[in-house]
Amino acid sequence: MELLLDVSLYGSTLRMIAPILLAALGGVICARVGIFNVGLEGLMLTGAFAAITGNHLFGDVWLAVLFAVICSGLMSLILAWLTIGLNANMIVVGVALNFLASGLTTYCLSAIFHVKGSYYDPGMAGLPKWDIPLVGDIPGVGGILSGHSPLVYVAFVLAFVLQFFLFKTVKGFRLLAAGEHPEGARSLGIRIDRIRYWAVLASGVLCGLAGAQLSLGQVTQFTEGMTAGRGFIALVAVMLGQNHPLGVMLASLLFGFMDALSIRLQGYALPTQFTMALPYVMTLAAMFLFKDRAYLRQTGRID
Amino acid sequence: MRILRRLADSLRGLVHPLAALAAGLAAGAVAVIAVGGSVGETYAEMWKGAFGSFYYLTNTLARSTPIMLIGLGVALAFRAGFFNLGAEGQLLFGALAAAVAALYLPAPPALAMIAALVAGIIAGGAWSLLAGWLDVRFRLNLLVSTLLLNYIAIYVCSYFVSFPLKDTSGSAAINQTNMIDRAVWLPKLFKGMSVHAGFVLAAAAAVLLFLVLRHTVAGYHLRMHGSNPLFALYGGVRRGRLMAWTMLASGGFAGLAGAVEVLGTQYRYIDNALTAPGYAWSGIMAALLANSHPLGTAAAALLLAALQTGGMGVERNTEVPLEIASVIQAAIILFISARFTRALLKRRKARAADGTAA
Amino acid sequence: MLLQMEKITKLYGDVAANAGVDFTLEEGEVHALVGENGAGKTTLMRILYGEETPTSGTIRLRGKELVLRSPEDAIRAGIGMVHQHFMLFPSFTVAENIVIGREPRSGILFDRKKAAEEAARLSAEYGMPVDPHRRIADCPVGIQQRVEILKVLYQGADIIILDEPSAVLTPPEVKELLAAIRGLARRGKSFILITHKLQEMMDVSDRITVLRDGRVVATVRAADTNVDELSRLMVGRELVPLEKRPARPGDPVLEVEGLTVRGGRGKAKPLLDGVTFTVRAGEIVGVAGVSGNGQTELVEAIAGLRRIDAGRIRLCGRDVTGADARDLRRHGLAHIPEDRYRWGSAKEESVADNAAMGHTDSAKRSGFLLRGRLRRMAEAWIAGFKIKAESPAVKAGSLSGGNLQKLIAARELAHGSPLVIAAEPTRGVDIGAMEIIHAGLLKRRDEGGAILLVSSELTEILKLSDRILVLYEGRIAGEFRADEATEEAIGRLMAGVTDHAEHAVSAGRAGRSDGADLAASRG
Repeated sequence: MELLLDVSLYGSTLRMIAPILLAALGGVICARVGIFNVGLEGLMLTGAFAAITGNHLFGDVWLAVLFAVICSGLMSLILAWLTIGLNANMIVVGVALNFLASGLTTYCLSAIFHVKGSYYDPGMAGLPKWDIPLVGDIPGVGGILSGHSPLVYVAFVLAFVLQFFLFKTVKGFRLLAAGEHPEGARSLGIRIDRIRYWAVLASGVLCGLAGAQLSLGQVTQFTEGMTAGRGFIALVAVMLGQNHPLGVMLASLLFGFMDALSIRLQGYALPTQFTMALPYVMTLAAMFLFKDRAYLRQTGRID
Repeated sequence: MRILRRLADSLRGLVHPLAALAAGLAAGAVAVIAVGGSVGETYAEMWKGAFGSFYYLTNTLARSTPIMLIGLGVALAFRAGFFNLGAEGQLLFGALAAAVAALYLPAPPALAMIAALVAGIIAGGAWSLLAGWLDVRFRLNLLVSTLLLNYIAIYVCSYFVSFPLKDTSGSAAINQTNMIDRAVWLPKLFKGMSVHAGFVLAAAAAVLLFLVLRHTVAGYHLRMHGSNPLFALYGGVRRGRLMAWTMLASGGFAGLAGAVEVLGTQYRYIDNALTAPGYAWSGIMAALLANSHPLGTAAAALLLAALQTGGMGVERNTEVPLEIASVIQAAIILFISARFTRALLKRRKARAADGTAA
Repeated sequence: MLLQMEKITKLYGDVAANAGVDFTLEEGEVHALVGENGAGKTTLMRILYGEETPTSGTIRLRGKELVLRSPEDAIRAGIGMVHQHFMLFPSFTVAENIVIGREPRSGILFDRKKAAEEAARLSAEYGMPVDPHRRIADCPVGIQQRVEILKVLYQGADIIILDEPSAVLTPPEVKELLAAIRGLARRGKSFILITHKLQEMMDVSDRITVLRDGRVVATVRAADTNVDELSRLMVGRELVPLEKRPARPGDPVLEVEGLTVRGGRGKAKPLLDGVTFTVRAGEIVGVAGVSGNGQTELVEAIAGLRRIDAGRIRLCGRDVTGADARDLRRHGLAHIPEDRYRWGSAKEESVADNAAMGHTDSAKRSGFLLRGRLRRMAEAWIAGFKIKAESPAVKAGSLSGGNLQKLIAARELAHGSPLVIAAEPTRGVDIGAMEIIHAGLLKRRDEGGAILLVSSELTEILKLSDRILVLYEGRIAGEFRADEATEEAIGRLMAGVTDHAEHAVSAGRAGRSDGADLAASRG
């Protein structure tokens, strides 16, 4: 159908997967050190709100992004300290963190902006659209690849950077070792706890960027609970991508495409609910393809 | 003598939740100060909003009803060791099924009401059982699958109430079903007040769950499995069977919560009306707060409802927004999750004293 | 003298894991450290590798005193250790595993090419062929062990400790290992081999130190001794006088035929290999052996907690192969598990709740639990087995190991089941509790119960068993009646020594025990 040939569909795909991809990259780093980070959703929401707030406070989009990164980073340190330092159940802490993010952002939405539901400032400048000089002129494809917010490009670049870091550098190698066999790594003098703290912090930073893209990337707006489960979709992307940054990038592309398609299909006869449910159904179907080994070990079913 | 000892043990079990409550209130105080409000005034208004008059008190009770039922279902699953986070989806399906049964079942009103409640339980239970089946049969991560099923449920129910079941007589803006016949409504407990018979059901369910966990063989096996699944396996408990029944019951509670709200408060299924107040997540919070103890969950549900209605009171009479309740709730949960660890810290120190190198 | 460990003592509370142990090592020497479970070999080597600090005693390397606070210190001093459970990273390649911790780099980049070259160089230099690019998970266990040794050599070790190195190897792999050790020793590397397999180690060792109960019993040159003397020194205790009534075995209760359990991925050697035996009513059959020879798998397979790959099991005449724990219990099985915390209890729950497991059928009415009856049952056991617990309401985790074990034993024996499996029933348990548990087992046997006793404690086996089987490398190496058993004979089988293969290595049949023939000939 001509829908699939619509260039702008693919363009919006790239835009929409950036938050999922960024969060999923954070999830990959955590997964590689043995932490199933359920709190990605809350961290992204924190970033989204902090970005809007930062933009409001400083009037500068880039400071806003920085502010988002710092806030999400601090939130992630709570998760890190409880999970690594105090050995709390990582799932309960993740869920609790999501509650905290939800409650705090809604509270601050009311307290700072005096609105309920969502905050929208027509005068606020969002993330700029970058037109890439040569690429943008390529017929057909140029429209897809050019003209996105910087964070979209950052997301894809980071996927490659992370792949490089993990599989080409010494530090990345040791991080992989720490997650693969913690005892063995420890007996070699590798500092596991420190690596894990950095991993969780990295996921916080990445979720901060993800949130900023959400609230500043297309329309500058914060809505209560605007992450809408993207954090969990990111988790599944991590599983589907087999903990590989590039694999996760492909998985995110798939989910993002579904997401963008669902919005497009709203224009057609199909009821909106079907198309909006599509990404989640796809995600569930994707789970059949990848068996989560860490989960199986936890429930004692590896035999 | 034994009763005294049991009392002492119960009181000791309250220390952690009470400490978390105190910590949560302290966090709330910080949030209040941050917006320039007065802590004393805020908390006074909160108390008034929750318990200040009979009207407010019954409001709190009414609000606690779905939270309590959901909390009980979640507590049941958690107690068995299963991370069922799908309460929201189970709640919605239960509510929708109850509305449909109440509207379209050709039966005398009393029977229709009961049938609607049962329909709610079955619908919620089935949706939950689906996730359980996926875990047992395909080894799908229960936590993630229940979360995803939530979103799918939201959209499926939304579709039904926006198209086939939509009440076309009223304003087109709201997606809702027709109103249920008055005779099928759950009766109010006090004239003019919002609390309805559902509260009695919820309270009874709490006591029932407590008794079942404590005094039945099934409850015993469930508790042991949650405590050490290998011990349960060794003793002859079958995980697959246990998961099926537990998820069914757990979802059934959430479904009942939805049914009770439809029949007792809203008298129809309204799109978004059950998700907006955050009943499902409050229920999960209540279970976590009470460490999945049935009676404790009921108390925690009352506490959370009080925080929420209190928050509304705060917003009515001060500059502080009602979401102060969310902040306090979330802070309480974080402190609770930290508590598992103090016992662990003590054990770690003891081991290190043995001379074992790092 | 390269290494001197003088008067090493290590106390855990009141228990002395090592008591005044003297141990020396010369350059280019292969020194075997032998002894039963709990003799203190592992503790001594953990001290040498810096994983533990001694309560008293000194370590001298080339005459200079050495203080080791962590494995890094040991590695720096040139001491390397290959653990019984490998510390390898399955998804990494051979080369990556060898160089980890001291990776060749160019800037921040990991120079994998150089790593592979290093690995190849070491492999050639020391005569231990490996493929640097292969993933460890895809390598057989023998190669994995080679990689562990190469890793240790790469780190610059002159002293190499091998903990039970041949435990997971097939006979041809053992041959290769011993050849590699001999080759490395010729080039000046020194080895300490922790082992209980005398036959295999005799051929490669220069000296042998025997530990028993934390003390050195003897240090001898291999040339001056033989396996018989060594196994006697290892086990060395007086035959315990039989205080029990003679057994009157009845019908077979447990019949195990050809039971086979395979190892995990990459492990060619099965954990259990064609195990066949019978336990009759009114008798105690003891399975002796150093732990790690398949005991855990045997118990788990029979108790329905582990998958069976081949063979059949009959319980009271009924085929129960592949049945789960629930069915097995219903058909007459009770199980005192080896790991009381992992399988046998829920430590956050009360004593009463722990006591009730498996007994709910006899204390229920239409689905309701008769808690009063369960509590009284628990109280009766607390009294009868002298369990130190304030009341049945206290948490099971607060009981001492011995008391918890008594509770579990009481619980399982109270079923009156036709078959009771007792796996390491008195491990980590004080003398008093041990006596009580033993009395309970004997009583059950006198009542007509069949008991399968699996224990690495030879004293316990000798004291209780009517018939004794020896499990070695997943096979039944031998069978004795109680009155014809001697510790010497049992000890030899436990150490892998067989009648017609004293120098099995040189005879080309390294480590293979023809236990089946032996058992058949003894009937």
